[in-house]
Amino acid sequence: MSAHDSHDAMLDDVAVYALGAMSPEDAARVREHIATCAECRAEYEALRPAAGALAYSVEACATGDNGPQVSELLKPRIMREVRSGMAPARQASARPAFVWPAYLVAAACIAIALFSTISNIAVNGQLKTAQTELDGIRIASTANARALDAERTTIADLTSADAKRYPTPQGAVVARGSKIYLAMHDMPALPKDHVYQAWTLPKGSKAMAPSVTFVPDTHGGAVLALPQDARLTTAVAISVEPDGGSKAPTTKPIAVVALN
Amino acid sequence: MILVRARNADAFEALYDGYHRLVYGVALRILGDVPAAEDITQAVFLKLWSSPDSFRSGNFPAWLARVARNRALDMLRSKAFRSESELPEAAPESDSLEDVAFAHIDAAKVRGALALLPQEQREPIELGFFGGVTHDEIARRSGIPLGTIKTRIRSGLRKLRNALDGAVTA
Repeated sequence: MSAHDSHDAMLDDVAVYALGAMSPEDAARVREHIATCAECRAEYEALRPAAGALAYSVEACATGDNGPQVSELLKPRIMREVRSGMAPARQASARPAFVWPAYLVAAACIAIALFSTISNIAVNGQLKTAQTELDGIRIASTANARALDAERTTIADLTSADAKRYPTPQGAVVARGSKIYLAMHDMPALPKDHVYQAWTLPKGSKAMAPSVTFVPDTHGGAVLALPQDARLTTAVAISVEPDGGSKAPTTKPIAVVALN
Repeated sequence: MILVRARNADAFEALYDGYHRLVYGVALRILGDVPAAEDITQAVFLKLWSSPDSFRSGNFPAWLARVARNRALDMLRSKAFRSESELPEAAPESDSLEDVAFAHIDAAKVRGALALLPQEQREPIELGFFGGVTHDEIARRSGIPLGTIKTRIRSGLRKLRNALDGAVTA
């Protein structure tokens, strides 16, 4: 077999690999070759979408007789689990930071108003019924209350006279005690499937460590706390990263500030 | 996906509405069993809800279809679903590189492109993709030389690529 024939056979293997119809051992061999052969890599990239498109050939129909239909009971079953909160909380090392939305504030205000209302009801003898309702509200608003506590702490830190403020073109990095905050405004719109990611430089280190990812609100604003300790951090940076965050910055930071 | 990551159930419902037919169709084709295909669909979407970061980047529907295929093939290979004697000799590899797909693709377009392939090319491609069998196993079952099977798969995929030719989106 000539070298040309041998390589042509490898291109055939690349097609089978793109289809996903190879044993793990054969796939590892082809993958290793693709990493070093431009021609095979190009063939793989050309055929891969074609293999992936096969899935669409069996897409089911929602209604009608043209193909398999999806049970109407399936969606309620899934959404019931989703809305009941049975699905476990997600885990991520670089998860988006919690930005306190307005609806939580509104929900807490409603809870407080209900509390006051129920106190008045107690006066005219309906306390028992109201108390039951209040218990339910208390349970439901626990998460909101925690969020509000965190928000109050943030506001106190951001407005404190002893907070250190480090301006950036789009806002400021604020440090107070052990806390680090980003108080950003007018941040540019993100490219599709991208997020902002904060980075911190630990004392004694030369490499930026990944911190939280976040997406500004529609006005380009974002206020969030970083989990890192300000006393152990010498610098903070922000960059645009692919959705889900990165382990190391992949773009030039839009802001870098040294903490002192 | 950003909203789903923020635990927005309405956004998740919109994702379900948009892509459940793709997930269910893949699972049903591989398993040939309605309750099992529904179970796969439910498992795929609940996994997406509980671990939205499992999708990092690339083409979302292509990624979702690959997840559905892997789950369905896992079930196909499980002893609970089929007897061991029917299992393929080696489980096909599913790579984890970033998914890419043609832009503006739909079921009718792919079915039309597949229908244009000669049967000798279409069969090993569909068997490899939906059957959960390796190219060696396809050759063994059909009695056709392995090299011929591989060449037919490549020729078929190239024709499919040309028939669906268009922008590729990540």
